[in-house]
Amino acid sequence: MDGPVAVLDHHRVLAASAEARHAGVRTGNRRREAEASCPEITILDVDPADEARVFEPVARAVELITPRVVLDRPGVLSFPTRGPSRYHGGDGGLADRIRDAVGTAGIVDLRIGIADGGFAARLAARRSVIVPVGETPTFLAAWPVGALGDEPLADLLTRLGLRTLGAFAELPASAVLARLGREGLTAHRLARGEDAHPPALTTPPPDFEESTELDPPADRVDAVAFVAKGLADRLLERLAARGLACTQVVVEVESEHGEHLSRAWRHEGALTPGALVERVRWQLDGWLTETGGLSGGLTRLRLIPDQVIPASGRQLGFWGGDAAASDRAERVFARLQGLLGPEHVVTAVPQGGRTPSERIRWVPWGEPREPAPHAPIGPVAGPVTVETPPWPGTIPGPAPARVLDPPTAASLLDGSGRPVMVSARGDLSSPPTEVRSAVLPNGGGAITAFAGPWAQDVRWWDRTSRSRRVTWQVVIEEQLACLVNVERGAASITAIYD
Amino acid sequence: MSFVVAPDDASSIPRRDAAARAHLAAVGAARAPMVLARDRALIVHGPLADAVPSVQRGTVIAAGGEPGSGLTSAVLGIAAAATAAGEWAAMVDDAGTLGGLAAAEAGVDLARFAVVRSVPRDRWATVVAALLEGVSVVLAEIPRSVRVGDARRLAARARERSAVLVAFAPDARAWPVEAALRLQTQGGAWAGIGEGDGVLAGRALAVEVTARGRSTIVPMRASLELAG
Repeated sequence: MDGPVAVLDHHRVLAASAEARHAGVRTGNRRREAEASCPEITILDVDPADEARVFEPVARAVELITPRVVLDRPGVLSFPTRGPSRYHGGDGGLADRIRDAVGTAGIVDLRIGIADGGFAARLAARRSVIVPVGETPTFLAAWPVGALGDEPLADLLTRLGLRTLGAFAELPASAVLARLGREGLTAHRLARGEDAHPPALTTPPPDFEESTELDPPADRVDAVAFVAKGLADRLLERLAARGLACTQVVVEVESEHGEHLSRAWRHEGALTPGALVERVRWQLDGWLTETGGLSGGLTRLRLIPDQVIPASGRQLGFWGGDAAASDRAERVFARLQGLLGPEHVVTAVPQGGRTPSERIRWVPWGEPREPAPHAPIGPVAGPVTVETPPWPGTIPGPAPARVLDPPTAASLLDGSGRPVMVSARGDLSSPPTEVRSAVLPNGGGAITAFAGPWAQDVRWWDRTSRSRRVTWQVVIEEQLACLVNVERGAASITAIYD
Repeated sequence: MSFVVAPDDASSIPRRDAAARAHLAAVGAARAPMVLARDRALIVHGPLADAVPSVQRGTVIAAGGEPGSGLTSAVLGIAAAATAAGEWAAMVDDAGTLGGLAAAEAGVDLARFAVVRSVPRDRWATVVAALLEGVSVVLAEIPRSVRVGDARRLAARARERSAVLVAFAPDARAWPVEAALRLQTQGGAWAGIGEGDGVLAGRALAVEVTARGRSTIVPMRASLELAG
C-alpha cells in the first residue's frame, strides 16, 4: 500500500507507518487528529488475524537466528539477546543480522530496540535505538509517564507533577507502595528499569500442559480454536487451583504429515482463557493460511505454560471472607509498610525444620507465601497434601509462644554449680539443676523438671556451617518452661513457653 | 403546612392512632436497626473459651501476665476468634519474638494474621490506630509509658470501627483507661515432663477474668488447658 497508513484500535491510532509518523501522527491519536495532521492518510481498522498471517514469516525468519522467540502480539516479538549478541558480535551486529533476515521475508519498515528488560526494550524499539548495557535507567528517565501504559496512573502522576519516568523512579519504593498500592509498585519497578515480576516469577510445575488429539485432522482455524477454548479453560483452572497465573504460553501443533511447530506467546499480566484462545487463533492463522506453514491438517494441539506468576489477588473473598474487609486490611498493611518499611509488617509461613525458629519463615506482607519448590503434580482433587521430609531431632510437644532469635546467653548448671556438658555421643555429664539468664524473670532459678536432651547434628556434610547442638525442655520453679540450647559448650535460651 | 414526626415524639401521638404508631415503629426500625448483642461478638473457640466465651466488638481487653505465665497464648486465642470468623487479625510485636508456630497451634489462620515488628515508641499509637481501621482484632503490647490520651483515643477508635483491641503487658493495670475485660494469666503446672524424662504436654492455666458489669466488678476464675 502506498502513502501514509495508520491502524486504528478502539478509535485510537495503534500504529502508524513511517510517513504518517513523519507527518505528525502519533500512537493514541483519534481518527480526527490523525486526519488533521496528515490529510492524505489511509486509515484501517485493526485485524489481528490478518496481522498474524503477515507476521508469521517474520517470526520464522527471526527464529532462524535465535530459538527463544516470544510473540507479544502480532507485529511485536521479543527474545533474550545475551547469547545471540555474543555470537553475532555485539548488539549492533545482532540488529543488522535480524534486519537482513527479516528483509529477505519482504519486510523493510522494521524497528529494533535492545535494552535491559522487556519493558525498556519495547520502548527502545519505538525509536529504533540500542541502549548500552547498564544505561537503561538513564534511557527510561526521559520518557513521559504515559509510556507505562496505565492511563489512570499516568494521569495521577502528571497531576502530582511527576511527568517523566525518571521523576517517578526517584520516589522511594515504600512511598509508592503506600500511596499507589501494588499496581503502583509494579509500575515503579518498570520505571526504574527492573522487570515487572522477577522476584515472584516461578518456574511452572511440570506436566501442567494440556493437549488433545484432533481426529479427523483439522484444517480450519475456527475448528481448532473451538478445541483450544476447552484446553485453555482447563489449563488456567488447574493453574488457578495451585494459586498460579500464566503470563507466557507455548502453542505447539503436530500435523498429519508429522510436522511439528511451536511458538511462545507472552502477555502483560495474567492470561485469561479468552486472551489465550485469541493467541492460539492468531498463531493458527499464521500457520494454516500462510505458505511455508503447515502442509496438512492438525492432528494434535498442545498448550504449555512457559512462565507463571503467583496469582495475586482478589480471590480471598472467594473463601468466605468479605472482599471489602480483605481490601481494607491489605490497604492498612500496605500503609504501615510505607510508614515503617516493608520488612516491619510480616506474616508467618510454616516450613520444615527442627527448632521453633527454623520451622517458621517470616515474609514481608504482600510477598508470596507459597514456598513454591515442591508443587504437587497432576490434577488437584481435595485437600493438597505436600509430603514433608523427616527432621530428626525435632523438639516434640506444643510450640513455644516466644522464640528468641538470636538466642539469649544463659548458664546451665548442675548440682555442684558446674556447667552441664554433653559428650560427642550425646551423653550428659550430670543432670541440670539450675538455669540463669538475663531474659528470664528474676534471672532464672532452680530446675524442677526437664526433658531431653535432643541432639541435632545440623548440616554435617558442610564443614563450615555444621553445627552440633543439644536442646532441653526445662521447667523453672514449676512455672516457667523454656528451651535451653548447648552448642560448643555455651548455653542459651532459645524459646519461652508463654 | 406539614408536620415532621420524629420517632422520639411517639408519646405525643394519641394512643388510639394505631396505624400511626405502627408506621412510626417501622420508620424507627429502619432508621436505627436493632443489632443483637450476639451479632456484635466474636465467638472464642479452643481452651480460652472456658474463661472468655466471646468478646464484644468495639471494646478494649486489657491482658496481663508475667513472662511464661501463658499471656501470649491467651491473647493469641482471641486473635484466633477473628480469623476463625473469616476476618483479619494483627499483632504489634515490638521485640519480634512471637512464635509463629504457637500462633498456628492457637488456631490463628496465619494467612490472615500480620505481625508488625520494631515499632518506634513515638509511632506506637499511630500504628495501633491504623491497624484498628483495617482488622477485627489487634493485639498490642503496651509500651512502658503509654499516654492516657493515646489510650483513650485508641479505645474510641476501636469502638468506632467495631474492632477489638487487646492491650497486654506483664500487668494488666498498665492499660491506663477503662477496659471491658481484664485478663490476668497466672500460670499453672506443666504436665507430661519429669526429671529428665517425658516431654512438655500442656498445662492447666489459671486466668483471672474481671468483667466490668453495670456497677460492680465480678471476678471469675477459670482453669483451662493451654498448649505452650
